[in-house]
Amino acid sequence: MTLDRNWGQLSDVVHKAMTRLGKKDSKLAEAFLACSQTTEIAVRNSEIIAQNRTEDSGVGFRVAAAGNRVGFACTNELTEKAILEAGERALAIAQATAAFPDFTLPSATRPASVKHLFTSEIPDMTIEQAVDVARWAVDAATNVDRRVTAKDGRVVFVDGRRGVINTLGVDLEERETRAALTLGCVAEQQSELTGSCYASTFSRGADLKPEEIGRKAGQMAVDMLGPKSLKSFQGPVIFGPEAVSFQICDVLIDAVKAENVASGRSAWTGKLGESVVSECLSVSDNAMLDGAFASRGFDDEGCSSQNTCLLSKGQLESFLHHATTAKALGQRNTGNASRFSGGFDMAHLIIGEGYRTKPEVYPSNLVIQPGTKTTEALVSELPAGILIESLAGFAQRGSGVISAQLSRAFFVRDGEIQHPIKGSMISGTGFEWLKHVSGVSKEVTPFQNVIVPSLRVENVKVVGI
Amino acid sequence: MYEALEKCLNQADFSSTDLVQLRSQKRLMTTCTARNGVVEEFSNILLSGMSARAFVDAKAWGFSSTNRLDQESARSTLQAAVRSARAASRLKVKRIALAPLEALDTEVSTAVGKAPHGVPTEEIARIALDVCKGAREVGSRVADVKATYIGIEDHKHFLSSEGMRIRQTITRILLLVDVIAKSGGLICPATENYGHAGGLELFDKNPPYSLGKAVAQKAVKLLALKAPPSGQFHVVVHPTLCATLLHEAVGHPLEADLAMSGGGFGNERGKLVSSRLVTIYDDGHVDSGLGQLAYDDEGVKSGPTVLIEEGVLKSFMHDRTSAALADAPPTGNAHAWDYSVEPLIRQTNIGIEAGTYSFDEMIEGVNEGLLLDGTFGGQANSNADFTFGFQSATWLKHGRRDQELRGANVAGNAIEVFKTIDAVGREVVLRPGACGKYQFAIQGRVVPAIRCRVMVGGTGGS
Repeated sequence: MTLDRNWGQLSDVVHKAMTRLGKKDSKLAEAFLACSQTTEIAVRNSEIIAQNRTEDSGVGFRVAAAGNRVGFACTNELTEKAILEAGERALAIAQATAAFPDFTLPSATRPASVKHLFTSEIPDMTIEQAVDVARWAVDAATNVDRRVTAKDGRVVFVDGRRGVINTLGVDLEERETRAALTLGCVAEQQSELTGSCYASTFSRGADLKPEEIGRKAGQMAVDMLGPKSLKSFQGPVIFGPEAVSFQICDVLIDAVKAENVASGRSAWTGKLGESVVSECLSVSDNAMLDGAFASRGFDDEGCSSQNTCLLSKGQLESFLHHATTAKALGQRNTGNASRFSGGFDMAHLIIGEGYRTKPEVYPSNLVIQPGTKTTEALVSELPAGILIESLAGFAQRGSGVISAQLSRAFFVRDGEIQHPIKGSMISGTGFEWLKHVSGVSKEVTPFQNVIVPSLRVENVKVVGI
Repeated sequence: MYEALEKCLNQADFSSTDLVQLRSQKRLMTTCTARNGVVEEFSNILLSGMSARAFVDAKAWGFSSTNRLDQESARSTLQAAVRSARAASRLKVKRIALAPLEALDTEVSTAVGKAPHGVPTEEIARIALDVCKGAREVGSRVADVKATYIGIEDHKHFLSSEGMRIRQTITRILLLVDVIAKSGGLICPATENYGHAGGLELFDKNPPYSLGKAVAQKAVKLLALKAPPSGQFHVVVHPTLCATLLHEAVGHPLEADLAMSGGGFGNERGKLVSSRLVTIYDDGHVDSGLGQLAYDDEGVKSGPTVLIEEGVLKSFMHDRTSAALADAPPTGNAHAWDYSVEPLIRQTNIGIEAGTYSFDEMIEGVNEGLLLDGTFGGQANSNADFTFGFQSATWLKHGRRDQELRGANVAGNAIEVFKTIDAVGREVVLRPGACGKYQFAIQGRVVPAIRCRVMVGGTGGS
């Protein structure tokens, strides 16, 4: 009820503010409005330590004055006065700032039809039910083995609405629900403690399969007991979906974001049509997958959702765009304006997301197309190599250099997993690894913004003791 | 805003709760991003809201927040917090005896030389544009320059059923610079951040133009350098990188919620956990430190807290709950990024006390190793394993600087690495920092250079 009330109140006043801006000295104007109600349960050390229910709603205005000078202002105060003032502030900033020649907004198009973005189960979820989901996951994890502790975890249910209105005729809104469960487990024996091993699920529905996730995370931690050091090694490595979803996808996303192409930051600037990665790899950005976590009918500036082929058998087919980058590079807008960009960007994290920020280019569901063999089969083909399920560390922006600690990895000999690995790092360039992909698993795992298989990569350097 | 909370607290029925905390906040933020001399974004952000936290049955906390500030919303938010607490209380066995706080009514503010509020748009934009100007003048190999100015003014109110009434105004300024240099197919990034608790006087001694120039020169220089080698090395860690090492590798394991969960420093209180040369503290009162906070978000006065004294573990960073569980005093480390999230144990301004070595003396002590400089962020696990990036390095040979090299990552286990520290620098610097532990935070770090042994994951040959 609160969500409906907040939305109705916000939407009415925002429309009024947009009408006013349309009559003033604004060349283009846009409002992005959002309302959400979030229930969140936090787990630490096998205990439920926090259970929160929060509501948030607000609006961000982007206004371009004559000469393409752009201002942004937002507020979460829902009074008519505060909302109208935010629109005025955006215009005042635009009038006082310098020109941003490429700035533009999308025109009105029909939003894509995407199913299963909303379930009524989530708005009806009580705090007690959410606590039970967390408890079931923890119990399942600790029942795997008495050495397991559910170190940290999070259950979150979000009921939200977002809308975009602009002076080019866009006036859209969408209701969506999201649910996620992440559980990190450690195992301890004598003086040995494993690092945290994470299992997670992301859904539009309320069923988060807590027992399955709990069991999985608990078993992953047990499997890391008894690790051995490794001598430095160079050879084939299989990256599991978690490692692919973070560091390797970061390299890929960094290179296909048109903002980075326009500014020359992308390593793939000027390489459209060229073969840039292994021909084993085909990658798309699909915002229209029914029920997928990052699907939507329209992007965060109102452009309809699309399914964009980025890499086809290793060849670069397209970059990801929003309206402004599409104009700057003279390419098609792929509908990838996002106000919920990932990654650890200090400015983003300070400012916040949603209505608090202007959109940036970011994938919806980035999909690495599956291959033909199971991960098990890929492992069985390794004479000697390493299976890396998880890495701790970052891909350096632009250069794609990845040097990271192996946080969950196993040594493989004669196609069999021998033992977990401790105290080792991986070191190389993500772009080189993508060129040396020789195998892609047929199973894929969905994360927040990516749906990825395991990848076998040749000639990877691992630094041991 | 304050009145709605006061009324809510006055009218609440506390018969079923042990403690109620209400917080409200108004945040005014101005941001400006200039890229290659074009103002891509200028924002004015106004956020306000309140939250309620309730402790029930001497066992469980519940939390709820809203951006609505009317009295009815305050009442229903408090009710939701109590209900949340009850939902968890039924599952809990352990009782928590929170040490009571004495009633207090006070008002504190950051010392501000030149207030950012009301400064004309053009003047703020000039800060980011000057960074671009300085950087672009370095030459054509500077491919991309991005400068982001952020000014934050927080007006916070804290009220509790224990009689606490705390009003805090905190002003912070940051300037984030990110440069890409390019030559042929080679791309080299370099970054640097300024930040302090205070006003625009930050730029009096640190002109944005000079910052842009320095970061661009660094990025361009990296283009001509080789990648560093990989393996275990004797290294001198420059303060810019020591700040990340301290925060990630030692700071996180000393946060009581992480420490008390097994492994890491958890069972090491009173024991030698580091080199005897090392004394580490956390202090919410460091002048200009980005983590400056007189009272934390549970109403506890912030440190200073000595965490490690001459290598011996003395204390963890606590909130009231962890302090009660550990039978220790709370240390004022319960922080919430904003009104919408629950306080969590965080570092404020963590520091290493100055040692006795000059920077040159530290280098002279390395027969074969590396000097590591600049930071590219990092992360730490609860078992004290850490990974973080450095921006550039210098090969050290027979106590002298040899070849300059590009950046990579280092990794290790904090407990093992800090035992290898064999020199601490005598000059300390205040650095800005950020942290993403469950929720965001900006913090300060007071750091010297240190010398230790660590694993480097470079892509070059050794």
